[in-house]
Amino acid sequence: MTLPLEGIRVLDFAQVYAGPTCTRLLADLGADVIKVEGLKRMDITRNFIMPENTAAEDYWNTSGYFLLRNGGKRSLTLDFSEESGGAGIDIVKKLIPQCDIVVESFTPHVMAKLGIDYKSLTAIRPDIIMISMSGYGQNGPWRDFSGYGMGLEPASGMSSVTGYEGGDPLRTGISFTDPYSGIVGAGAVLTALVYRRRTGKGQYIDLSEQEAAIPVVGYALMEQVMKGRLTKRIGNRSYWYAPQNAYRCLGDPDGQGDNWIVISVRDDAEFAALAGALGHPEWTKDKRFADNASRMKNQDAFDALIEGWTKDKDHVEAMNTLQAAGVLAAAVLNPKESLLDPHLKARGFFDRVDTGNAGVRPVAHQLGAKFSAFEAKSARRAPNLGEHNAEILSQLLGMGDGEIAELKEKGVIGDTPISAVPLPVMRMFVQFPLTSYQNMGALGDLDTDYREQLGIASEQGETK
Amino acid sequence: MAEGALSGIRIVDLTQGIAGPYCTKLLVDSGAEVIKVEPPEGDYTRRLGPFPGDKPDPEKSGLFIHLNGGKKSIVLDIGTDDGRAALGKLLASADVFVEGEMPGRMGDLNLHYNDLSGAYPNLIYCSITPFGQSGPYAQFKGNSMAAMALSGLMYITGDPDKPPLCTGGEPADYFGALHAWVAILAALEHRSVSGNGQHLDVSCLEALGCADEYNTPMYSYLGAIRKRFFSRHHIPTYPSEIFPCRDGHIVVIGGATGFPLMMAILIEQPELENNPLFQNLWLRTIQWQDFEKILRPYVVEHDWDDLLTRAQELRIPFAAVMDPQRLLDNEHLRERAFFAEIEQPGVGKLPVATHVFKMSETPLRAAPAPALGSDTKAVLG
Repeated sequence: MTLPLEGIRVLDFAQVYAGPTCTRLLADLGADVIKVEGLKRMDITRNFIMPENTAAEDYWNTSGYFLLRNGGKRSLTLDFSEESGGAGIDIVKKLIPQCDIVVESFTPHVMAKLGIDYKSLTAIRPDIIMISMSGYGQNGPWRDFSGYGMGLEPASGMSSVTGYEGGDPLRTGISFTDPYSGIVGAGAVLTALVYRRRTGKGQYIDLSEQEAAIPVVGYALMEQVMKGRLTKRIGNRSYWYAPQNAYRCLGDPDGQGDNWIVISVRDDAEFAALAGALGHPEWTKDKRFADNASRMKNQDAFDALIEGWTKDKDHVEAMNTLQAAGVLAAAVLNPKESLLDPHLKARGFFDRVDTGNAGVRPVAHQLGAKFSAFEAKSARRAPNLGEHNAEILSQLLGMGDGEIAELKEKGVIGDTPISAVPLPVMRMFVQFPLTSYQNMGALGDLDTDYREQLGIASEQGETK
Repeated sequence: MAEGALSGIRIVDLTQGIAGPYCTKLLVDSGAEVIKVEPPEGDYTRRLGPFPGDKPDPEKSGLFIHLNGGKKSIVLDIGTDDGRAALGKLLASADVFVEGEMPGRMGDLNLHYNDLSGAYPNLIYCSITPFGQSGPYAQFKGNSMAAMALSGLMYITGDPDKPPLCTGGEPADYFGALHAWVAILAALEHRSVSGNGQHLDVSCLEALGCADEYNTPMYSYLGAIRKRFFSRHHIPTYPSEIFPCRDGHIVVIGGATGFPLMMAILIEQPELENNPLFQNLWLRTIQWQDFEKILRPYVVEHDWDDLLTRAQELRIPFAAVMDPQRLLDNEHLRERAFFAEIEQPGVGKLPVATHVFKMSETPLRAAPAPALGSDTKAVLG
């Protein structure tokens, strides 16, 4: 069972979310991904989501967030700063002949300043494939803008078509364009690999996170171009069909009351199925709902009728009932319900990963495809900071113990971050103020038995 | 024309809608040959518009043009023996076959991977469906909103006192497209080494679920269920909010270096540097209403371009809230030549969102979308 990228080595300077998504996919497909971090600039996501919200002595090795995007990589710490006399850069240049792909997500010019831009790299390895993943790309008036994921979804246009009717534009509840552009980056690199295999030529890829996601608003773009008007925000409704919306269901036993189902009717047959399932087959003869155009016009009235049925139903049971009748319906699951969903479980979507420092945890796949010829290597833990320094330097550069110890002495490599804020303060900072979040309404009650619920309780003790 | 990255690769594409067609769009833009097999009535996006002048015309649908430029179109009714025979013949010369039928239908037509892999052992056969080929929901009907719902992403998108909100633009279909594209490219690499094709099973729900950032980790690491709260993050990043400004909206983001001083300078009240809400991130996050009372009145009286430019000069990562017109007019995107221009027969010149990444040796290419069945004769003979 050979993986497609076995034998391919990636030098990965990317941090945070988009770039690491790209290289995580390459790692799952078999590439040897060496994640390069600075001790003064470790990946910031090592600070996010501590097990039991408790920061350990080496809390940067226990992050649930970092694990998602960095499972299966090797970690190399290198100091690029001038104080280290360029030793970090020398090591990079020595590694390049053994690397096929370089991924970076700095703002433009940083790689050139470090002397490792594409042109410099081709002098060392002519067929290198390099991808720069930045917020706004390598040229143009916005190239030097600092780009955060939370800003790039709106900058791509997606937020202009997301929001309640008559309300402000809204983002998704995660940094949507980060994983989006990360996958685009992985596809671009694979495209370059196919080309290199045929021609022997490498190339440079300039990916702007803003641009990568613009096609998602393709319909609205064409509406603007063809009809000269902006697409309105319409909440959960459809531009094309009615009825479609989110409908309230029966509340939780604990009274949180935030259960919903989405229903979408796309043609007359689905409408008849819905009317039948709701016990009102006569609705198909009602003039207000006779065809899609009438249903579009009268969707407020129809939404009220649907909610009359859903409001005392369990959201998951209602989904099963409606789907069995041929209606497109889906329960709006909260994150816990997604983790426990029988379909995702049957599909093996969540791996049980032995994370090392945080025990066994269910972790979502990073690739939404199953391959019949091989299994993508998804269930691997993330590396500790600098975990593979000695291994990489000896294996790839033939360095001896003395040389490696000297680099450690000089602070070029290491396994403890150097933080401007004292580590004990950082340790407090990386723990969420959970009670305040609950009082605000941003978090529900904690499930103290969540490990039992997830079936990982018995495995917790062994790996700690 | 210069050689494309995927020159010489032939793809037969039976999909309709968004997920399958956007996947093969990324392949055709890189130089692959894509033969789009449409039913006699055409891909249903030909009927979704938008249409110039709101006049429905299967050759003028904006969404269809957006997703199918550069492909060849042939018409085959795979419900008939002749149609299936013609498709089978076509697959003999194909490297990749992409389909998006309800699981089970291809088997009923004797066109499942298992029916074909004997005759075509090196064929890469990719199925893209809402929920995948197996599992309790395999036969469920789905769309992007259903994937948003089941992935847990919809639950945490929107405002606490309102229903969960689906992200616009059918994102689960586009995520499904990207994962299928990556899977096909990986399978092509695999085939180069092993010589063998394979079956790829892509679920749009799972493709979207992969985008999760910290909803499931917040539960699987500490038993916390994130709730819908203005689409706000729980990691310490407040503010990263969309605020109304004088001429639209702007994303107000503090970033790593915006507080306390730079934001105070930006809003021309430097004394706020000493305000506890500017000094303390957690305090600001928790007492966000108080913080917004300071920010919003200033932001609403200024233009987005002015706020964006000044904030970025101060290294505060504000971002624009672009709508389609702003994207089309944007000087930055123009200088980067993001939009390509095509001449679509019957419609005229159209900007298309082609250059989603820039490759130095094998640039992506844009082309008009095919008329229904325009290549049937040339392809089938």
